[in-house]
Amino acid sequence: MSTKYVLIGNSAAALAAVDGIRKFDKQGEITIVNRETGPAYSRVALPYYVAGEMTLDDLLIRQKPDYQKIGVSLVENENVKAINASAKQVELESGKKVSYDKLLIATGSETIVPPIQGLSSIPHHYLWTLEDAIGMKKAAERAKTAVVIGGGFIGMLAAEALRKLKIKLTIVEMAPILLPQLLDEGAGNLFLKAVRDEGVTVKTGALVSAVAKKGDAIEVTLKSGETFTVDMAVVATGVRPHAAFLQSSGITLNKGVLVNEYLQTNQADVYAAGDVAETKDFLSADRSIYAIWPTAIDQGRAAGVNMTGKRQEYPGSLGMNVVELFNVTLAQLGRFREGPGDSVKMLSSKGSEESYRKVVVDKNGTLVGAVYVGDENGVAEMGVIHSAIKRREKWQGFKDGRQPQFTYGAVMHNVPRY
Amino acid sequence: MKQIVVYQEKCTACRECEVSCSFSHEGAFVPALSRIKVADFYEEQFYQPMVCVHCADAPCAAVCPTVAIQRQADGQIKVIDDRCIGCKMCLLACPFGVMGFSPDKGVAHNCDFCDGDPQCVQFCTPGALEFKDVVSAAAPAKQKAAAALGLPQT
Repeated sequence: MSTKYVLIGNSAAALAAVDGIRKFDKQGEITIVNRETGPAYSRVALPYYVAGEMTLDDLLIRQKPDYQKIGVSLVENENVKAINASAKQVELESGKKVSYDKLLIATGSETIVPPIQGLSSIPHHYLWTLEDAIGMKKAAERAKTAVVIGGGFIGMLAAEALRKLKIKLTIVEMAPILLPQLLDEGAGNLFLKAVRDEGVTVKTGALVSAVAKKGDAIEVTLKSGETFTVDMAVVATGVRPHAAFLQSSGITLNKGVLVNEYLQTNQADVYAAGDVAETKDFLSADRSIYAIWPTAIDQGRAAGVNMTGKRQEYPGSLGMNVVELFNVTLAQLGRFREGPGDSVKMLSSKGSEESYRKVVVDKNGTLVGAVYVGDENGVAEMGVIHSAIKRREKWQGFKDGRQPQFTYGAVMHNVPRY
Repeated sequence: MKQIVVYQEKCTACRECEVSCSFSHEGAFVPALSRIKVADFYEEQFYQPMVCVHCADAPCAAVCPTVAIQRQADGQIKVIDDRCIGCKMCLLACPFGVMGFSPDKGVAHNCDFCDGDPQCVQFCTPGALEFKDVVSAAAPAKQKAAAALGLPQT
């Protein structure tokens, strides 16, 4: 009898899990339960839709026939109410019940609503779901000025999209730099200057305390007492795992769904992957959640393989991000802020005011992180550093005073398979 | 599949491959835009031309958030320009550092074999590069290894 796989979620982790399952099980029944409608889209590409550079069709990373081709049934527009692990059933809000042999929770994350006075009384936008992006694009067509509350990854991508639409921007960020989860102070200051040089007003170390409607406009009040008005407001103050519906399921939750090195929860035959899963960290003994596309892919694929009964250990999550914003390329890997015992190798290539590169090495001399700000040429080298961190390479210094030294063996480690 | 095979010991780091690649793809002699790069290992005293190997597990394709990097029927890993948003995640994922980026087009790029006539191979004077079917190229070595181990030769 074929195995019944049920996957809750229809984005990176779930799609990668389908690949993992199909690698070893061509016959099993796979059902994807999706709270949104339509085939999977690229969340990463949403800002490009807002900016008018991509159509809704362009955003799709699967078409309906793609699911049929690999034997996946898609249940759309259905929220999961609860999981009954003892009966091996997923209960939907519509009242339907879906039975499973193996279950994957890949529900991703949801936006955090910040405690700003008056927020619910004004029109405001997030940039997390397709619906959010459609709403933001419509509002942006009428707006001349906007505030972006939160200068993190999503906030900055939203800001970049709005800037392409010639909207005058004010970004409010609590930390002293923009992209505090991606950049250290040195890189952050360099980037901050680049954003301000583009004519964007950036208020760092600032908090929005209240917002209010003022005619057709929105009045924004900062904690400092300063006020200004804008036509539209974007809220990007972070995301958290979408796991509240699991409260009574018996599945152990911490910040997210706790899983072991095989992406298994404490309940038999229930797995979790992607933004919702709290996994082991690659660099430390801690558990971590990196709400990023690459970890969702890695976890999803490993979970899929494990759901078929094979064993594939997940090596742990490693933070990695890259983005081009305001004509500057920014990239981050692993532990890019030095901790106790770590040492830092700085390299600013020619024109040091425009480029910033830092490598972090732990007390054992092992590479643990890097951060880069500059042009796109440096990112390919970050790829080599990325693989070196994953192999726990020792730092070997700089060659020719500029580029990190890697041995021939380090670069050619992954012998190509044809 | 056909692949660019590198004979490292013949490479003199003349970088003709880099300039011929950048000229044929970008119309300019700019090694930074080349899809093949000569890595120099001064400590070990040799040079290593690095070019996309169209990996079986293709970390660039796995990580692409818009499915812009796809394997073709012939095994080649290809960037579909129209789908690429220029996020550069593939550059960060490539362990060899051979995924590149075209600033003018705003898209990632890798070796595309110049439609079957790789210019780097054409202009490699020392003969360090060859474009050939790697399965058959590897076959004699595999057979030799199988024979040495007493295994049946295929």
